[in-house]
Amino acid sequence: MRYWKGVCAIGIIACLVLPGLSYGQAVKFRIGCALPLTGIFGRDGNLVKDAYTFWAETANAKGGITVKGKKYPVELLFFDDKSDKAEAAKLVERLATIEKADLILGGFGSDSVFAASAIAEKYKYPMVSGGASSNKLFERGFKYYFSTLGKATEEVRGCVEIAGVLKPKPRTAAVIGSDILFTSLAAEGFKGYLKKEGIELVYFELFPLSLTDYNSLLYKVKQKNPDVLLVGSHLMVALNTMKALKEVDFTPKLVAFSYGPTVPDFVKSLGKDAEYVVAASEWAPNLPYKDDVFGTAWELNANYNKRFGRNPDYVEAASIGGALVQQWAVERLALAPPLKEADRVKIMEELHRMDSMTVYGRIKFGPDGANLEHPPIAVQVQNGKLTTVFPKEVAEKPVLYPARPWKERK
Amino acid sequence: MALLIQALITGLLMGGVYAAYSSGFSLIFGVMNIVNIFHGELIMIGAFTTYWLYTLYHIDPFLTLPLSIISAGVIGYVIQRFVINRVVEAPPMMSYLCTFGIHLILGNLALLLWSADFRTVTTSYSGIGFSLGPVTIPIARLITFLIAICTTFGVYLFLEKARYGKAIRAASQDKETARLVGIDIKKVYALTFAIGAAITGLAGGLISTHFVIYPQMGLPYTIIAFCVVVLGGMGYIPGALVGGLLLGVIQSLTATYLSSGLSIAITFILLFIILVLKPRGIMGKGIVE
Amino acid sequence: MRKHAVWLAVFFALLLVPAFKLEGYYYRTLSMIFLWIGLASAWNLTSGFTGYIDFGAVAYFGIGNYATALSMTKAGVPFFPAIMISGLLSGMVALFIGRYTMKLRGAYFGIATLAFAEAASQIVLEFDRTFHVTIFEGSHGITLPIAHDETFFYYTFLIVAALIVFIAFLTDRNKFGYALKAIKEAENSAELAGIDTQRCKVSVYAVTGVMIGVLGGINAYWLTYISPLDVFSVTHTIHMIIMALFGGIGTVFGPVIGAVVLSLANETLGARLLYTYLLMLGVILVVVVIFLPGGFIGLLSFRRFRK
Repeated sequence: MRYWKGVCAIGIIACLVLPGLSYGQAVKFRIGCALPLTGIFGRDGNLVKDAYTFWAETANAKGGITVKGKKYPVELLFFDDKSDKAEAAKLVERLATIEKADLILGGFGSDSVFAASAIAEKYKYPMVSGGASSNKLFERGFKYYFSTLGKATEEVRGCVEIAGVLKPKPRTAAVIGSDILFTSLAAEGFKGYLKKEGIELVYFELFPLSLTDYNSLLYKVKQKNPDVLLVGSHLMVALNTMKALKEVDFTPKLVAFSYGPTVPDFVKSLGKDAEYVVAASEWAPNLPYKDDVFGTAWELNANYNKRFGRNPDYVEAASIGGALVQQWAVERLALAPPLKEADRVKIMEELHRMDSMTVYGRIKFGPDGANLEHPPIAVQVQNGKLTTVFPKEVAEKPVLYPARPWKERK
Repeated sequence: MALLIQALITGLLMGGVYAAYSSGFSLIFGVMNIVNIFHGELIMIGAFTTYWLYTLYHIDPFLTLPLSIISAGVIGYVIQRFVINRVVEAPPMMSYLCTFGIHLILGNLALLLWSADFRTVTTSYSGIGFSLGPVTIPIARLITFLIAICTTFGVYLFLEKARYGKAIRAASQDKETARLVGIDIKKVYALTFAIGAAITGLAGGLISTHFVIYPQMGLPYTIIAFCVVVLGGMGYIPGALVGGLLLGVIQSLTATYLSSGLSIAITFILLFIILVLKPRGIMGKGIVE
Repeated sequence: MRKHAVWLAVFFALLLVPAFKLEGYYYRTLSMIFLWIGLASAWNLTSGFTGYIDFGAVAYFGIGNYATALSMTKAGVPFFPAIMISGLLSGMVALFIGRYTMKLRGAYFGIATLAFAEAASQIVLEFDRTFHVTIFEGSHGITLPIAHDETFFYYTFLIVAALIVFIAFLTDRNKFGYALKAIKEAENSAELAGIDTQRCKVSVYAVTGVMIGVLGGINAYWLTYISPLDVFSVTHTIHMIIMALFGGIGTVFGPVIGAVVLSLANETLGARLLYTYLLMLGVILVVVVIFLPGGFIGLLSFRRFRK
C-alpha cells in the first residue's frame, strides 16, 4: 500500500512539474495556438491546424522568418481547447504567461475566439484569426484582435446578391440555421440582404444544434415552396440539410449555405447529391491573388493538395493569410525572438497600418480588426467541383440555375 | 391536413429509428441493471462498419448490416466478459463510472483512427421515396422502420420461447434462484450484452445511411435511448418500440406545429413528467426497483 | 484530528498565495481548481452521502450562471447580492424538483435529473424566441461587465469552496449526515427506524442546489460571457461525478482530491496530449473502477485498517 501511495504522489508531482520544463535551446519563433481539436468543432479546428502547419513549413523551408538577415525557424505550439471557450481562454493565458510564446494565432469558432481574444487583448498579444467572424468579435473596441475573414453577416452577402443575376429572379426565400452564434448571425445576415434584394422572406427558423429530425423542419419549408433556401450552417448541419432535402423530395431552385460545402468532406460524402449547392466563400483558387511566399492561388491550391491530399477551403486560406501578414509585420519591424511586450505592441500597430496582397487576397484591417477589403464570393458545386460563380468579375462559370429536381437527376 | 399526415408519418419513421437503436439499451438494463453509457459508441461502431465497407469496397450498406451486427456484438461481448462482469455485482455507481470510461476509450480511439471528419453514406438510392398522394415516404426510412419492428419482435420471441431467452429472463427476475436451478449467470449476462450490443450495431449500420456520423456521435444517441426506454418501460422490449414511435411522433408534431427547438425541450420535459408520474413507462410494464 | 489539521493548514497557505505576485495564469488555474473542488464536493454531498446519483447537477450551475448574469446586466445588482440570488433561486428550484425526483430510485432518479437538466438547457435556449421577449438572449449569450482581476476570483472561489467542504465535513459528523448515510445503506430500514427519508433527501438536495448555484453565479462573472450550451452542458455533471468517484465518493475529502488531481491532469496533460488525453482518462477510469473501487481515498485509508 505504501508503494501505491508513492507512485501516486510521484505521478501528481510529475503532472505539476511538467509545464515548468523548458523547450530546446535554439532561438526560434515560438507561436502558440489554442484550437478545437476535439469536440463539436474538432473537424474544423484540425483544418486550421493544418493551415498553420502549412504556413510554418513553408517558412521553415526557407530557414524560417528572416530578421536582419538572420533566419529564425518557426515552432508551432498547438493546444486543444476541446471546443470549449473557458478552455480556450485559459490556454491562451497559458501561452502568454507560462509558455511565454512569442506570438499567437487565432483559433476557430466564434465563441472560443471571443473568449480567447479577450485574454490576448489583456496581455497585448496580437491575435490574427481566420476562423471566426461573428460581428460581436469586432464590437468590443479591442485593438489586438484581427480577422482575415469578413464579418459573419457580410460573409454571406455573395449568396444573396447572386440572386440579382439569376433569370428569372427569385421572388421568395426561406432561411433556416442552427442556433449557435456564428450560424444564427449568418441567418440574420441572410435576412438583411434578402430585404435589400427585394426578395420576400416566407419562412425563418433557427433550430438547436442537437436536432436529429430535419425532415419535419424541411417539410414545413417545402410547404411554403420558396424559390431559394438559405442555411446558416457548419459542415454537419449542411450535410444533414442536404440529406433531408432529398428525403422530403424538395428541390429549391437555389440552396446556399453559409459554411460547409467548401470543406471537401461535403462533396465526398454526398457525391452527386451535392450538385448545384451554393456556398458563401471568401477565397477560391481561381481568384487573381498571389504573393511572393505562396505564389498564386492556384499554386497554393495545388501545393496544399500535395501536402494534405485535399484542397484548402477558405478558412484554411484565411488562416494562412493571417499567419503570413503577422510574419511580414515581424520582418518589416525587424524584431528577433524572444519577443517582448513592447515588440508585440509595435506588431499590433503595424498590422493596423498594413495593406497587403496575399495569396488569400487583400488584407487590410480596419480599426475594429475586421478585414476591410475582402469581398465575399459565392461558389457552386458543379460536376463535383467547387466553381466560383459570383461576382461576375471573378466567376469561372455562370451559376447553374435553377437546380434540377431530385427525381430528374440521373 | 396533408401536413398533419406527413408529420405523423415522419414521426413514425423517425420513431422506428429511435426504437431500433434503443431496444438493446432496454435489454441490458432490464437484465443486468446496468445503464450502459457507451451505448452510443456501439451505434457508432455499427455505423462505421457499414460506412467503411461502402466507401472502401462499394458494398451496399443494407448488405453489410450483418457485419455491423457482428462487430458491435463481438465488441459488446468482449467488453462485458472482461470488464463489466467485474462490476455487475457492485453498486450501480461503479457501473456508471466503468461504462463511462469505456465510452471515453471507444469514442477517442475511433477519433484517433478515423479523425473527426463528418461522414455519411450516400448510395444511388439514398433519400428516394415514393408518394402517396400529397405525402412522401422515404424508402430507406421505411425499411429501417420495418427492421426495427422485426428486431423487436425477434428479440421478444427469443426471450419468451428460446431456452437461452428464458434463462435470460430468469436471471433478470431472480438472480439467486436462477443460480440455484443451474443457470450460469455470468454466461447469461455476457450473452445478453452481446445480443443487446448486436441489435444496437444493426441500428447503427442503418444510421450511417440516414444521418451524419462521426467518432464522437455516441452521447446524444445514448441520451435519446434513455428517453425512449423510459417512455416505453425499462427492460420491456416491446416498450422500446412503443416509446420510440411515441417519441418520434411527439417530436415531429411539435416541430411541425411549434418549432424544432421546442421539440427537443418537449422531449425532456415529457421524459421528466413520465418518470415522476409513471416510472413504469407508458405501458406500465417497466422494471422499477 | 491531526489529519484534518493538515487541510486547515493548506487552506491558510492558499490564502497567502497571492502575496507572491504570481502570473495571472496561476490564479486562473487555481480558481478553476477551487471551482471544481466546490462543484464535486457539492455534488458528493447529495449523491455521495445518500447514494442517489444525480445526473442533472449542471442545471443548478446553469441557473446560477444566468441568475447572476441577468441580475447584474438587467437589474444592475452588484456581484455579491447577485450570487446570493443565484444560490437562493437554485435552492428553490432544487426543493421543487427534488420533491418529485427523490421519490424515484436508482437509475430512474439519474435519468429524471438528467431530463431536468437537458430540459432547462433547451428552455433557456428557446425561451426568448417562443415568448417573443428578450430576456435570456438564447444562443447569443449574455455578456457581463468586465470583472476584477484574477485575485478577486481566486479568493471568492477559494472561500466558497472551503465553505462547501467545511459543510460537508460537518455533515459527515452530525446527525443529519448519519441519517443520509443510513439512507444510502438501507433506505427502507432507515424509514422504519423513524427517519423521514424524503425530507432528508430533499433537504440535502436543496443544499447542493444552493451551493452549485452560487458557484455558477461566480462562474458567470469570472467568464464574463455565458451561453446556454456551455453552462448547461452535461459535461460539467460528468466531471463532477468523475472527480467525486475518482477521489472517493461519499467521503469528505475524496472529491477534493479528485478535483485537484483531475483538474491538474487536464491542465498539464490534456492540452498537450491533444488526442490521447481523453483516451488515457477512460483507461484510468476503468482501471480505477476495477481495482480501486474506493477511489484515491480508499487507497489511502487502507493503511489505517491494516494496522
